[in-house]
Amino acid sequence: MAEEFNTDSMLSMFLYESGQLLEQLEGIILDKQDEDCFDDADINEIFRVMHTIKGSSAVLMYENITKVAHKLEDVFYYLRESHPDDVPHLELVDKVLAVSDFVTGEMDKIKDGDNPDGDETQLVEDLDEFLSRIKGEIKKQGIRLPKENKHEEPSQFYITPVAENDSHFYRIVIHYRDDTQMSNIRAYSATYALKELAEDLLYSPEDILTNEDSSNTILMEGFHILLQTKSSKEEILDLIDSSEAEKIDIEEMTANEYGRGLVEFGMGDPSEFIHLEEEKKEVKVQKSTQKPAPGDYIVKAKETGKGKTLAKNQHKQQTIISVNVEKMDALMDLIGELVIAEAVVLQNPDLKVPGLELGNFQKASAQLSKITTELQEVIMSMRMMPLTNVFQKMKRIVFDVSRKLDKDIELEVIGENTEVDKNIIEHISDPLMHLVRNSVDHGIEENTNDRIKLGKPEKGKITLEAKNEGGKVYISVRDDGKGLNKEKLYNKALANGLIEDRPMSDFQDREIFRFITLPGFSTKEEVTEYSGRGVGMDVVVKNIQSIGGRLDIDSVEYEGSEMTLVIPLTLAIINGIVVQVGNSSFVIETASIKEFVRMDNDALVQEPGGEEYIVLRDECFPFIRLNERYNLSGSADNIEDGIVVVLEHEGNQVCILIDKLIQEQEIVVKPIPSYVKKVNGISGCTQLGDGSIALILDIAGLMLTEERR
Amino acid sequence: MKILLAEDDFASRKFMDKQLSRYGECDVMVDGEEAVDAFMMALEDDEPYDLACLDVMMPVMDGYQVLKAIRNIEAQKGIPKEKCVKVIMTTALNDERNVKMAFELGCEAYAGKPLDVEKFEKVLKRLKLI
Amino acid sequence: MAEELVEELLEEDDSDSQKGKFMTFQTGKEYFGISISYVNEIIAMQPITPIPEVDNYIKGLINLRGKIIPVIDVRVRFKMEPTEYTDRTCIIVIDVKSTVIGLIVEKIEEVDTILDDDIVPPPSLGHKEHEHSKYVYGLARTGNRVKLLLDPERLIKQEIFNVLEDIQEEEQS
Repeated sequence: MAEEFNTDSMLSMFLYESGQLLEQLEGIILDKQDEDCFDDADINEIFRVMHTIKGSSAVLMYENITKVAHKLEDVFYYLRESHPDDVPHLELVDKVLAVSDFVTGEMDKIKDGDNPDGDETQLVEDLDEFLSRIKGEIKKQGIRLPKENKHEEPSQFYITPVAENDSHFYRIVIHYRDDTQMSNIRAYSATYALKELAEDLLYSPEDILTNEDSSNTILMEGFHILLQTKSSKEEILDLIDSSEAEKIDIEEMTANEYGRGLVEFGMGDPSEFIHLEEEKKEVKVQKSTQKPAPGDYIVKAKETGKGKTLAKNQHKQQTIISVNVEKMDALMDLIGELVIAEAVVLQNPDLKVPGLELGNFQKASAQLSKITTELQEVIMSMRMMPLTNVFQKMKRIVFDVSRKLDKDIELEVIGENTEVDKNIIEHISDPLMHLVRNSVDHGIEENTNDRIKLGKPEKGKITLEAKNEGGKVYISVRDDGKGLNKEKLYNKALANGLIEDRPMSDFQDREIFRFITLPGFSTKEEVTEYSGRGVGMDVVVKNIQSIGGRLDIDSVEYEGSEMTLVIPLTLAIINGIVVQVGNSSFVIETASIKEFVRMDNDALVQEPGGEEYIVLRDECFPFIRLNERYNLSGSADNIEDGIVVVLEHEGNQVCILIDKLIQEQEIVVKPIPSYVKKVNGISGCTQLGDGSIALILDIAGLMLTEERR
Repeated sequence: MKILLAEDDFASRKFMDKQLSRYGECDVMVDGEEAVDAFMMALEDDEPYDLACLDVMMPVMDGYQVLKAIRNIEAQKGIPKEKCVKVIMTTALNDERNVKMAFELGCEAYAGKPLDVEKFEKVLKRLKLI
Repeated sequence: MAEELVEELLEEDDSDSQKGKFMTFQTGKEYFGISISYVNEIIAMQPITPIPEVDNYIKGLINLRGKIIPVIDVRVRFKMEPTEYTDRTCIIVIDVKSTVIGLIVEKIEEVDTILDDDIVPPPSLGHKEHEHSKYVYGLARTGNRVKLLLDPERLIKQEIFNVLEDIQEEEQS
């Protein structure tokens, strides 16, 4: 969950737990969508979910949620007790989803700080009507009606604190004239006056009555007041005697800022943080859990004006720790720096003095490496979250859209437990939704006969798959629908003036498929409620590019299409080999390297068009001269003077020429700054042990540009 | 309705007093011990309180101790459940463990500060105090 | 030296005191200024790692205390003939809405205080004479020199201008 909850932990708990329960609920529904009824386990589960939500919403007095949950609980109570046959399943599913949506909607309002003011009457009436029909059915089937479902009246309530809408928070600073006598007393009379309209009042310095030196502090720094009140600035200023005041600053602040101000003044909770919810990993930051007990909250005799201080030293204990996301980001950066600094130490030229006995040093450095590697893993795991939630949303979308369009579609999900950095999850949700909608709307054929004619099963299939590989995450949306027709795409792009007027054969298939991501591609006729507004795909691509990723599109007409998001993990630390080409250093991911070979000139084949190939063991590989491609100086032209590296990516191979192999090491992948537009063949950069920068080769990109020639 | 208010902070005290006085007669105490004393006295005079609003952080005895003491006294005197005083804790502390502890000790409601006056009134209605 | 001056001024966190102060530098025959609210620091020239296949004014990447940032050559950006870097050549590191880039300039001048009233809008573009006029939002006279005040946000928004450039060049040809 990426949302920030407000600091009320009771409320956060309610929202979090209810959110989880509703997701579970949706899960059951979608899993069983093809069945014609719920089984006993499902019924029990749904009953329990509604019962829990009814109870917890009652404590917080969210009556509309309570009423709705109450009704649905009743429905499932009867289903559980009586087991009637022929329950109208689809209608039941609709009702459950309607309740779930209503509650989620109200919870969203609460999260945003608004009133959950949804009107539940219609929904409750619907459920009532449905319930009486069920009861009627039960009677008709001769089953005995169970006793009425007993609901316990809620007896304990929690009132969430709130900054009332008409409460204002002010910070007031009174500057008295330098010659003012006894400014501390004046300050006191100001606070006394303000108590008339104060809902809460704090000030500094606090010891104005007891300490005469406070006058000096007041004259130098001003008298600071934090005030919560319904009154306006004018009413406040009216109350404060301004006869000796040189200046009164009064500024309004938000409730949050006020809360923080309280911390400065010695009381109140340190404020807004995002809850770091990590239950799955071993890494749980735990503090000793001591239950609070009566007597822990006795305050020392309160002095006027001072914030309360507890007599007993209280430690806040929790099993889950809340961490500010900025700190997590800082931590991530630091770990990257640590890896680089480690390299600087371990590869230090000072160590290269010949004849040095480095046995002990090696042992120590091995230990150091081990620890930093573990540290990296732990920190990365803290930010990693499974894609499960995102995929769940997709399930729901397929369900809704396919029903509305009357298409029969099955959604297969693979790898939903794949973990991805938190930052990425926030950015891929929308693009993925768009792609899934597209597949349902445009991909799968409308007419099942069209499918049958092609020998495809009546039911359309969409596959959502995620996997982690080589520092990247691949998330693909595959459908077995109509696929893309290259000619149509080409013609449309040409007609809309989106591409140069070149024959279709000039374009690679991949490029033609990419036309659908050009801005303004979809024409007005195709705008449907779900997709195709002509602003969709290009925005999708932009979103993905903003996190350093790309969208690959592949399709076979009549068979289907596949859209793949390829996204680099934020802090990727990969194993790579540093090589030298001319005066530049490059890094190649170890996994992409098939082999290094020294070759003779007779292994080189030159085509009349200028393309070159290397022949190795009777196989022919395309050959790229990086120094020419990238305009590098100082590099060998003769392959006999350099080393040929055979690179592999997804079954395809290519060879490049390098001058020197430097070494293998762990590389912290840093993105090329976004200001620099994407360079084909380069996927990032890194700092080497000596502080210089090396560019990381992107094999797929290299191959792509090679194809273009 | 007779109301017992225990709150040691001046500003909060004034505020709560103003709020509660709308519903009934309000007796104001400034520390936990005073609150328990007042409660005892009211029982003995046969004019028990209907509602007690207790701050948690107070001198001498904290709100939890007061709550515990009140419930113990009521148990000892055999006061039936319907006649027990309804207790609402009012405090800026709203960590769920604090709330749970309060519920376990037997309060009817827990109100976080700043107080949501509308909801507070709703609770009073639910508790059939008004 | 200018660097120390800038450091002192940049240390003050109060945004009020930054208003009206401009970091000025010379490139080609012109003098330019950038509001110091955008300036993070000024550093001496350092080794630049070139990036292949980028626009020619993007010279490459530098390693600034662990952060990798791109640097652009202001002369080349303003379509002037590139020149040799001397030991006067510096890099002004600017931060425009979280985009951090370095500007390679020939010579750093001082930090000037220029009041809003003293800034006049540049002559209307019409037929643009200079590449840099795209990025200049005002002129100010300080001492006996006219300083062209640059808007870094325009400098960063290259995509739009590249397209416009192409269109304008086509129109001219």
